[in-house]
Amino acid sequence: MGFFLVMKAEVVRTLIIMRRYWFATIIGILVGYGFLMMLISAFMTNSGRFKELTDEALSSVLGFIVGMFAFGIVGLFSQGLQGMARTGQLEQVCTSPHGLVTNFLARSFVSAVTSIFSLSIVLFLVTVTLKGKITATPGPTVALLFLTYCNLIGFGFMVGGLVLVFKQVGQIAMLLRMGLFALAIIAGKEIVNWPSLLRWIAHALPITDASICLKLVLIDGLGYRVFVQPSFLFLIINCALWTVIGISLFKLMENWSRAKGTLGAY
Amino acid sequence: MNNHNLVEVAKVAKVFHTRHFFHRDEETNKRRIYAKHTVVAADNIEFAIKPGEVFGLLGPNGAGKTTTVKMISGLVKPSSGVVYVDGLNVEKKRLKALRRIGVVLEGTRTSIWPLTPLENLAYFGNLKDVRGRVLRARSRELLKFIGLQDKMNVQVRRLSRGQRQKLAICIALIADPPVLLLDEPTTGLDVQSSRTIKDKVVEMTREQGKAVLVTTHDMGVAQEICDRIGIISHGRLITCEPTENLLELFAEQTYEFRVDEFADTPTLEAVPGVHGVRVAPEPEGILLTLDLDSDTELRSEALYTVIETLRARGARLRSVTQKQQTLENVFLRLTSAEGGSQTKG
Repeated sequence: MGFFLVMKAEVVRTLIIMRRYWFATIIGILVGYGFLMMLISAFMTNSGRFKELTDEALSSVLGFIVGMFAFGIVGLFSQGLQGMARTGQLEQVCTSPHGLVTNFLARSFVSAVTSIFSLSIVLFLVTVTLKGKITATPGPTVALLFLTYCNLIGFGFMVGGLVLVFKQVGQIAMLLRMGLFALAIIAGKEIVNWPSLLRWIAHALPITDASICLKLVLIDGLGYRVFVQPSFLFLIINCALWTVIGISLFKLMENWSRAKGTLGAY
Repeated sequence: MNNHNLVEVAKVAKVFHTRHFFHRDEETNKRRIYAKHTVVAADNIEFAIKPGEVFGLLGPNGAGKTTTVKMISGLVKPSSGVVYVDGLNVEKKRLKALRRIGVVLEGTRTSIWPLTPLENLAYFGNLKDVRGRVLRARSRELLKFIGLQDKMNVQVRRLSRGQRQKLAICIALIADPPVLLLDEPTTGLDVQSSRTIKDKVVEMTREQGKAVLVTTHDMGVAQEICDRIGIISHGRLITCEPTENLLELFAEQTYEFRVDEFADTPTLEAVPGVHGVRVAPEPEGILLTLDLDSDTELRSEALYTVIETLRARGARLRSVTQKQQTLENVFLRLTSAEGGSQTKG
C-alpha cells in the first residue's frame, strides 16, 4: 500500500513538474535526439557505408538508450540520493512512515517509467530518421523492460546503501554508471566470443544481458523466442540476485547509517 | 512508560565514534596515521512531554539538541536508552511511531520548490498516508491556519524564507501527528514571521493537545512559548523545570533604588538581609543596586529599613524596581557552570 501511495505522490509531482517545465522537457528530448544523430552521422560518414550500417547503428543507438536508462536509474541512488541529502529532502523521506526502501522503490519506478517514455520518443525519432525498423513486440518488450528495471534497482540499492554510509562512494558510483553505460552499448550476441573471465564479469553486471535481450527483440525481431535465449536466463538470475543483494545491503546500510548518525545528512 | 506522556526519553545516550587516517592533532599539531575520536552527543538524557505541552530544549551549539530530536524521530539510533512516542518504542516500532511524529529539522529544504504549497501538501500527505478528501480539506485548513492561504498556488521558490518555514510546519502537521518536533523553528526569520510561528505553535498545542518539542537558541522564544524547559550542555540535561520555576529558582532578589544623592553605603550594607550594595552614578542621580536575602520575611524587613534609612539621610527616592530574571541569564549561568571536555582522542 505504501508503495502505491508514494508512487501516486511521485507521479503527480513528476507530471506537475513536466507540465510546468514543458519547454525544458521537450528541449531535453530534442537534445538527446540531436546528440545521438550527431554521433551516428559522424560514425557513418567516417565508415562510408551508410545503408549497410543502419542495423548496426540502430543497435548502438538502442544500447545507448538502454545505457542512458541505466545511468539514470543508478544515478537516482547515487548522485540523486546525495543531492537529496544535501538539500535536506532525504531527512524528510527518512521520517516517512513507509520506510526508505519503499520510498526509493516507488521513486525509481516512476523515474523508470518517465525515462522509458522520453527515451522511447528519442528512439522512435532516430529510427524514423535512419529509415530503420524497430519491432516492439509488446509482451517481451514490457517483460524485458521490467526485468531490466528490477536488475538496475537491485544494483542501485546496493550503490545507494553504500552512499548512505560512505559519502565518497558517490564518485565511484559515477564511474560504475559510466561503465554500465558503455557496457549497454557494446553488449551483443558477440559476448560469447569474449575471454571467459570478461564474459562472466559482463554477465554478472546488471545491464549486459538486459541490453542483449532488448536488442534481440527490438532490432532482430526475435519476439517471444527471446525467452529461450541464454541471455534471458542470465537476466532472470541477475534480477533475483541483484534485487535480494541490493535491498538487503541497503537495509543493512540504512541501519548502520542510523547508528552512525548520518542518515539523511550529507 | 507513563501513559500520560506522548514523548518519553528514558536514559538515552548517544556516542559517536569517528575514525581518521593521517590525522593532524589540532593541539599538538602532530600527524598520526590513525586516530579515533569519541564524542558524547547525549549522556543519559531523560525527559517527557505531556499532551498540550510545549517543551523547550535549550543548549549551546553542539550540545546535543538536534541529536536528541533526531533520536526521537528515528533518524539516529541511540547507543543506549529508549525513546517512546505515544507509547511506542521508536527503535522497535519505528515506522508506526513515525506516523505519530511531525518533524521540522533546522535548515533543511523540506518542501519541493517547483511545486506550490498546496501541491507540496498533497505530495507529503500521500507520503504520510493521508489521502483524498481528508488530504484536500486538511491542506487548505492548515494553510489558512498558518496564514499562507493567499500563497497556496504560488511556487515555493517564489516564497520568502518565513513563508517556507510556515509551509515546513504545515508539512509536518499534514498527517495530524500528536507529536511535533521543531528544531530551531524561528532561526533567521523576521520578527513578524517569528511571531506568527510562535503564536500558532502555542495555539495548536493548547487547542489540539499536541506535544511539542522546540529546540532553540532564542531565549525569548523559549521563555514565551515553552511550558517546560530542559537545558542541555555537553550532551547532559543539566536542568528540566517548568519555565516559571526555572526563573524563580534563579531569581536574584536584586532591587534598584534611584535616588538624587546618597553617600552612606556602609549603613545600607549593615542592614540585616542586605548582602551587597553597588553604587553607579546616573545623569540624574545615583543608582543603588541592592542584593537582598531570599527569605521573604527578612527581605521585607530589609526593604523597609533601606527606605527608612534613605529618608533619614535626606535622599530623595525617585523609583524602586525589582530586577527581572531572564531565561538568558539563567541559561548563561547554568551552561557556564558546566565544564569539561566532551571529546576523547
